[in-house]
Formats: sequence, structure tokens, C-alpha cells
Amino acid sequence: MRWFRFAILIVFVTVVQASVLPNLEVSPDLLLILLVFFCIYCEPNEAIITSFAIGFAADLIGSPMPLMPMGPQTISFGLFGTLLAYIHRVINVRKMPYQALTIFITALLAGVLAQFLAMLKGHVIVSNIWGMLLGVAIYSGLVGPFLFLPSAWWMRVRMHRFARR
Amino acid sequence: MRLVGFCCGVSVYWIMAGKQTKVSRRMLFTWLMLGGLILLIAPAKWTSSFQFAFLRVFRWPLSIGENISLSVENRGIGGDSETVSRKKYRELLNHYANMEARLRQEQAKVEQLTGVRESFALGNTKLVEALVYPVSIGKGNSEILIDKGADSSLAKGQFVLAENSIVGTISEVSTAGARVRLITSTASNMAVDIGGTKRFMRGTGDNLAKIPMMKNKIEAGTAVMAARKAGVLNTPITVGRVLRCDRNMDSAVLWDIIVEPACDIQQLNDVVVVVMNPQGQK
Repeated sequence: MRWFRFAILIVFVTVVQASVLPNLEVSPDLLLILLVFFCIYCEPNEAIITSFAIGFAADLIGSPMPLMPMGPQTISFGLFGTLLAYIHRVINVRKMPYQALTIFITALLAGVLAQFLAMLKGHVIVSNIWGMLLGVAIYSGLVGPFLFLPSAWWMRVRMHRFARR
Repeated sequence: MRLVGFCCGVSVYWIMAGKQTKVSRRMLFTWLMLGGLILLIAPAKWTSSFQFAFLRVFRWPLSIGENISLSVENRGIGGDSETVSRKKYRELLNHYANMEARLRQEQAKVEQLTGVRESFALGNTKLVEALVYPVSIGKGNSEILIDKGADSSLAKGQFVLAENSIVGTISEVSTAGARVRLITSTASNMAVDIGGTKRFMRGTGDNLAKIPMMKNKIEAGTAVMAARKAGVLNTPITVGRVLRCDRNMDSAVLWDIIVEPACDIQQLNDVVVVVMNPQGQK
């Protein structure tokens, strides 16, 4: 794992997610797409660290729902990232439709858990939050697999090796 | 904060030296989850410092991204009816300056004739100008982040103005910045004055607010003013305008008044915080 490249990628994606995408009615969650990417293409230990790190970055900008308190996304991304890394040892997710489905399900589960934890911390839930979460999950699922290629190129990861662990 | 910095440093070193150190997956997950839980249960006053720090450090790239996004959005909108020519703008600005000067002259006259000094609206107040982090304006219209905090005498409950109207109140303050709860947030419950009646106005979460259970129907366009509040606001200030009146769901004889904010919250760049009796504060 190239950690310096990882740090640059996360900072870049966090800035893009926070500045360019919020003006769209429904935007994909780029950080969540990266979460799934690292869980699929990294060793489980690395996947656990990257999941929590990406969750922390999502907390910093409140992605994809703005101004969430700190903590919920770190926990939900970390938990589902770790689960995904473990599941990936048994089920290989290498085809694009499966990757899209994985992103969709992870986005939904991580989003629901993050909202629940934020609610426990006294955060006000926006009235149409569940519709927004569904929109983000669908959009991320559609866009995500296409972003795996540039991410793999930047991280120097070979996408087509058989790497079931 | 130093402790957090130290922990981060140690974590980074440990990650970098990962090849030499063997830590079980379970232990790794437990430690990181513990970190997440500490973040979750720690007071928001402390943890939001991370968010403010990120916004400060990456202010420049964030503003570039924001500009790109806005320029793409505005492309092709040539003849916008809301924009005026530079000539017209100068005319209006001069007219405004003239009117203000005339008002001051008339006030001086009244003062001279009656011998009573009329106190200005927001007379004994300090107006703190603050920039809005564009990143914080987004879906939900519930809160925004501003770049002034406790260092500038900001405190919870103070009113926040934009375009001479109230947009919200301070809900949380840290040294580096503050969170503003917008009037359109579902958590907002503000005392307002509408047509001489004092009521509470709640945000609906979709860029509007609602004054429930009014006996009389109010004409669309009527101004809704924030009620005076001792120690926080000494004069009524516009909050919004009546958009429409809907029949109350529970009682058909009552009306729910739907209010739209007096300014465009999505386009906020800077705001002014009303700090009453600044010399009385720390």
C-alpha cells in the first residue's frame, strides 16, 4: 500500500466532494466509492485502516449530508469497510455490476447507520433524508465502478489479478 | 488537542512502520473503533474544531472548487432578470446614500425640536462580520458554519443577519468558528411578530418556515419580524415574508402560515452577528 499516494488521493477527493459536488441536486459519494475500492483491492489490514481514515475525512466535510457532527461516519465507514473486507475474502467482487451493487448496498447501510448515530448525538435529521440517501446510493452505484480505474492507476493497483484471500 | 495530535502522529508512524510491527486485525479494528467512539461522544464544541481546521487549511482549494461549480451552473444564463447594469447599480447606490443622509438630517431635526435623543435601532450593539464557509451551505438548509467564534464575543443564541434580515441564530460556538442554525431548520423555533400578533415560527427543512395555527389568514407578502428579545435583540428585524396560507391539518378554522426567508440562503457569502451590550461581555 502506498500511503503517501493514499493521503493525496483522499485529500483531493475530500476537497472535490466538499466544494464541487454540493451544488448538484443529488451527488455521488466519492469517499464511499473509494472505501469500496480499497476494501476490494487491498489487504484486510490496510482496508480497515483506510475505511476509518476515509470515514474521518467524510466526517470533516459532513459528506454527503452537510454539517453532521464528528464521529458517525468514522464509525459507520469503519464498520462496513471492515465487514466488506472480510466478505471479500469469500466473495470476489470484480465485475462491474457486482461492484455497483456493492457500492449501492454499502452506501445505504453506512448512510442509515451514520444518520442513526448522528440522531443519537442530537443532530437534526433533514425531512427528506431517506430519499436523499437512496439517491446518493443509486448515483454512487452507477458512477463508482468507472472511478475504480483511475483510482487503481493512481494507487498502482493491478485490477485484474485474482486476489481472493 | 495536543493529545489528539500526539495520537495522530503515533498512528501515522505506526502505519508507516507497519511492515515491521505485527498487530492483529481484531486489535486494529478495536483501537480504531474506540477512536471513532471517542469522536462521537466527545462534546461537539471540541470535535467541530477539526471541521473548522479543515475549512481553514483548505480554504483556497475549496473556493476554487466552489467557483468552478458555480460557473458551470451559471453558464448560459445571459439575461438574468435579477442583475442590473453598472450604471443602474451606481444610481441606486447613490439614491440609497442620499436617502440615508436625509434620514440623518431629519433625525437631527427631531432631536433638536423635541430634545429627546432617539436611540438608533441596534444602537448598543456590536455587529460582527463573518464569512460563511460555502461548503456548509447545502442540502437541508439547516445550519451553516461561519469563521468567527468565541474570540469575537460570539455566544449561543445571538441573532445572525444577512441582507438586513435575520437568517438564524448561533447554535454552537468554538474559538475558531460558530455554527448558525438557520430559520429554515426544523430545530429552529423563533418568536416572531406577524401583523401585530406574537407567534412562534418553525423551520420546515425545505428552505421555508411555518407559523402554525393562526386564527386569521394573512395576506401573501406580509413581512414577518423577529420579536424583540431582552439582551439579544432590541428592535424587530425582518425574518421573511408570507408565501401562502394553508389550512391547518387538525383544525379547518385555523391557518398555517408558510414563510419564505427574506434573503437567498443558498447564495450567502457573509453574515453579521448581532452582539448586544458588547462591553458587558468578556
